[in-house]
Amino acid sequence: MRDLKHLIYFEDLLQTANNELIQQAKADGGICAAFSCENVPEPLLNVGNAFSIRLFAPNTGSFDIASYYMTNLLCETSRALLERAVEGGFNFADCMIAPDGCTMMNRCVENMELLKTMGGDNEKFFWQYMEIPLKCDENNLELYKLQCINHILRPLNEAYGIDISDKSIRRAVGEHNRVCKLIRDIGEFRKGPQPRITGYEYHVLTLATYVCPKYLIMDKLEETLEELKTREPDDNRWRARVMVVGSEVDDSGLIKLIEESGAYVCADRFCFGSLPGRDLIPMTDKEDALTQICRKYMESCQCPRMMNMEKVYGRKKYVSEIAKEYGADGIIYEQVKFCDPWAYERMLGSTMLREDYGYPVLSVDRPYNIASSAGQMRTRVQAFVESIEIKKIKKGEAQ
Amino acid sequence: MKKVDKVVDPNWHRKGDQRLGVLFNDGKVRRRREWRGVKDTFYDYTRWLYIMSILARFIVKPRNIKAMFRYRWMANYLAVPHMLDKFTMGLRDESLRIVHTSLDFVVYDVAQTMEKVFRGDRKTGNDEEWSRNCVLTDENAMTAFMMGFPDVNAILREVPTMFVANLLTQNSTTHYLDVAQEFGLPGDVCPMPEAEVGISIEDDFPVLGCCAVQVNTTCDGSLMGNGVIANRLEREYGIPTFQLLAPMRHREDDVQTYAANDIKKAIAFIEEKTGKKWNWDAYFECAKRVNDATRKRQAWLDINATPYPQFVGAPFSLYNDTNYMGNCGRSALFPPVDAKLLKYAEEGYAAKRMMAPEYRHRAIIWGVQPQYCIDMLNWMVHCWGVVPLTDMLSLVNTKMIAEDDTPENREQAYYDMAWLNENMIMRNRTHGGYKVLVDELWEFCEQLHADMVIMWEHMSCKALDGMHGQFEEQGRARGIHIVWVCHDLCDPRVYTKQAIRDQLSSYMRTVLREEPLDPSIEVLPDDNAW
Repeated sequence: MRDLKHLIYFEDLLQTANNELIQQAKADGGICAAFSCENVPEPLLNVGNAFSIRLFAPNTGSFDIASYYMTNLLCETSRALLERAVEGGFNFADCMIAPDGCTMMNRCVENMELLKTMGGDNEKFFWQYMEIPLKCDENNLELYKLQCINHILRPLNEAYGIDISDKSIRRAVGEHNRVCKLIRDIGEFRKGPQPRITGYEYHVLTLATYVCPKYLIMDKLEETLEELKTREPDDNRWRARVMVVGSEVDDSGLIKLIEESGAYVCADRFCFGSLPGRDLIPMTDKEDALTQICRKYMESCQCPRMMNMEKVYGRKKYVSEIAKEYGADGIIYEQVKFCDPWAYERMLGSTMLREDYGYPVLSVDRPYNIASSAGQMRTRVQAFVESIEIKKIKKGEAQ
Repeated sequence: MKKVDKVVDPNWHRKGDQRLGVLFNDGKVRRRREWRGVKDTFYDYTRWLYIMSILARFIVKPRNIKAMFRYRWMANYLAVPHMLDKFTMGLRDESLRIVHTSLDFVVYDVAQTMEKVFRGDRKTGNDEEWSRNCVLTDENAMTAFMMGFPDVNAILREVPTMFVANLLTQNSTTHYLDVAQEFGLPGDVCPMPEAEVGISIEDDFPVLGCCAVQVNTTCDGSLMGNGVIANRLEREYGIPTFQLLAPMRHREDDVQTYAANDIKKAIAFIEEKTGKKWNWDAYFECAKRVNDATRKRQAWLDINATPYPQFVGAPFSLYNDTNYMGNCGRSALFPPVDAKLLKYAEEGYAAKRMMAPEYRHRAIIWGVQPQYCIDMLNWMVHCWGVVPLTDMLSLVNTKMIAEDDTPENREQAYYDMAWLNENMIMRNRTHGGYKVLVDELWEFCEQLHADMVIMWEHMSCKALDGMHGQFEEQGRARGIHIVWVCHDLCDPRVYTKQAIRDQLSSYMRTVLREEPLDPSIEVLPDDNAW
């Protein structure tokens, strides 16, 4: 296919956490609200002149300092973020909001705080830790709202005078929904037998929506969507279509590696992916905006830490439905090395998707930066692709 | 560095065996029993007979014999007398009686749990009527939500299968860890929930009860393992499970209502499944016992803050696990044991009784213990004169809960149960932010006049590992000796017992330049021991 016009632009944005658009937004008077987990309702960090930035650590090499503080047994994502923070890579942030979700990410942020890695001369800088729902019911919804008020909205208002009114929240949801709509519309082009966008390209675009101020990339996303409508797809060069499920994928190189191995990544159900991370938030005037946002986040949450059994079973059902909708031949359950929640979810999920739903499943752990283990992963994916092909052949013979 | 005055007993004379190394050879059990002088050997022998009588009464029942052949982990219980010997090594007088009083009762309590388990177990006793009256609960969960159900049995089935089994024999979990890993679970998660998942996968848990209540207990692994276990309980055995939540930021005011509301839901769930109504009289009776246990625990710790600590180490920790969490005021059998323990501790303190000729260092034990080597705390007193004043798992709730039945207290009771649930052992420190894990450690060092922290570094415990550097730097800044003792909780293949003890020994020799009090036990040939 012909290269997307803005792909290199988006790829460049992902080369550093402190990208040029963050600097531009700050120069415009924006307040950067940094966060580290998809359980933080993103629109609430985009109220008034605040803008949300999800922390990530592109091009991570070693984790020496982070490994000293947290040992080499904590998940590589948390160590990569701490390492980058110690290096001063997140000094653009004006506050840090972290849910006490998974233990390792919580410890990562606590170390950032204790080591005074962020804030610098900004006296208004604050750290906030939220309790987030463990189940999906009205009690958890009430908790979610209270936590968002106490640990996001009120601190933003008190420190920076940011407008946290219902009207302001609705405006932020409007912007959020515009981005989500664009990303999901772009994602629709993954569905057909001849997709017009690769999984890698899609991942680059999606990741950019988390790590850049949204209003500054909207125009380029719109142009990309228009471009895709007329883009000539390749002849079918993919040997299999797979869905990737698991821990956050901050390194688009992983998706590229999978696709180089012959498997088209047709759906992304991982932390900070588009499913369900870029779901639109439906809004009505019957309820306050905060309640509606929290309900949407709680109900659509696919985080393995949600522990009621409806959610435990629901996560597998969701994967199956998405796989069906996007035409996946197989599922890759991946887990960033040492991530406990996804270690268990990967085990149970891969078993249930294989036995209860009949999908071929590849279950793997991986490093934060795939470059450090590319050969091993490539071998696993290639073998998986071949196994899917063999299954297809056998199925055809049987028929 | 911080220094504490060395405490020396000028009249030290240990009756009987002086060098404890003579007790060991390379076998599963000791070379011989310890000679403690006539009086203490006789006392120890009567307690041995008592333990044997518990085992005999247990094994004469046909369903328990059946269980012995059905469940692989049951064989570990042959080592019960040996476990007691590990914790009483070198002890005399009050300290010997304290260990026997506490741990003998733990043995009795576990035997009672197993009686209940096998009576209802579908694969052995299969008493269906009994089973309908049982609720399965987590091993690491406070059973506070059962305080108002006097006629319902809370069954902590993971206690005998995994937790106690690994205290008894070091290799008890290795098979189940292999099972879980063969099923696809990585080897780097905490081995305790991993082993429990392995037991579930192998179908080696007894199956009973009309329902189960699970809690997000100590860590992400524990929370996630519950999902795997519940999947089998619900889909294969038709036992509905309720997931009771305990907030992570448990010290924050803005999570308490949330937690209390879920306690109400758990109670409603149990009422629905068992058909039994919540009984406030029973609840407040239990609440009084919870408060009594809290007062006693504080009194023991007060004595441990003096130069003559009495109730210390693993027996304190294991007894507290059983009483504070597994019992949580529900049994009337515990308060007399608490009182007896306090009596012995006060007598020992009054007589300035010591376990070794000198106490060189006063240590707080922090982190999560190596389950198969927790008797190391007794060893280090005798070998190095390091006294384990208390441990992280024993520093739990200190608040009194409402114990009078009034309309206001009935509402308060939900908050109290939630508070207890949030403050179950271990998770009250592993969750709640760095203040409860790091900052409060230094406060405890002050309160208990400790100059040393034995830092269990359970290599798969992400909550503790995540603060490694902070402990290191803050301990150094305060002049407190931080002795890192790395292990893998319940997998001796990763760290043998001697490898664990060697870490303390090498610190004592190389950093503190000290020689052992009893060199005969510095290296123990117990790699093959139970």
